[in-house]
Amino acid sequence: MLTFYRGWWCPKEQSFFRRLVEFQDEVEVAYTRMVSVSVDPPEVESAFRAGLGARWTFLSDAERRYLDEFDLLETTDAVHRPYVPTAFTLYPDLTICSVWNGYWTWGRPSLEELRRDLRTITKAIRPDWEVPNA
Amino acid sequence: MSWYWLARTDEQPAAALAAAELSSGGYLAAFSSDGPAPPGERKIDARAVDPEGAAGLASLVLPPDGVSILFDDPAVSGALRAALAAPWPDVLSTLVVESSKFAGTLTAVRDGDRGRLASDPFARIFPAELVEVGPGFLGRTPAPTGPVIQRYGGGNPWPWDRF
Repeated sequence: MLTFYRGWWCPKEQSFFRRLVEFQDEVEVAYTRMVSVSVDPPEVESAFRAGLGARWTFLSDAERRYLDEFDLLETTDAVHRPYVPTAFTLYPDLTICSVWNGYWTWGRPSLEELRRDLRTITKAIRPDWEVPNA
Repeated sequence: MSWYWLARTDEQPAAALAAAELSSGGYLAAFSSDGPAPPGERKIDARAVDPEGAAGLASLVLPPDGVSILFDDPAVSGALRAALAAPWPDVLSTLVVESSKFAGTLTAVRDGDRGRLASDPFARIFPAELVEVGPGFLGRTPAPTGPVIQRYGGGNPWPWDRF
């Protein structure tokens, strides 16, 4: 799962990430990895991550190196110039399964939608999804 | 994934793939997984070992030979979670016996950050020894993409960053 987020200061992100923290207890035993990216500097991300109790990977694009390349600049926020909140579920080869535009809060994935996608991906990549015959 | 046998020895072993002197005495040595198991029969992530590696400071959680707990014990799961939440060191590998037993960890840093090692979460399970590891042993274990705490197949150390 790959999420781009505005920053620690956004109440919508705080709400969404608290749900992801709840979700990580399932993810940690399901061979699924999570990465979150923002324009916050690493030390700010570390504080946000530690405050949340998150145990997945946070990456910093403080130099905004990939904002234009990914076409994910939130153009309406001229103050922070953050990533527009976007969530992806990805196959191991990084093929996109689903993408959610979280500009509006209800555009973000629910945990149930994430579960459904991760089941779809796992079923596709695990040849032993059906229990092997003895 | 690939792994090596790991052992602490009194003398520098001749057949080791890598070996380094410990400041507290003895040697830390890695042996090919194709060879016979040394005493303790502990497996370590091969990435944690580099015969060309520079010296470093390590937290060595190494219970006596024959002492282990189940890798799936909640105490181990809790320590893995704490390790993922903390700043990642230069080297970290759990030590595994057979397919399902936890028998210690090697955690090391090269910048002398004793604070990271002093709060080694695996020291909650077995006693940890803070020790200088000489050159010729320590590799580098990239930070895994969390929050996975499961091993990729029985018998393999954690972490391993592949599906």
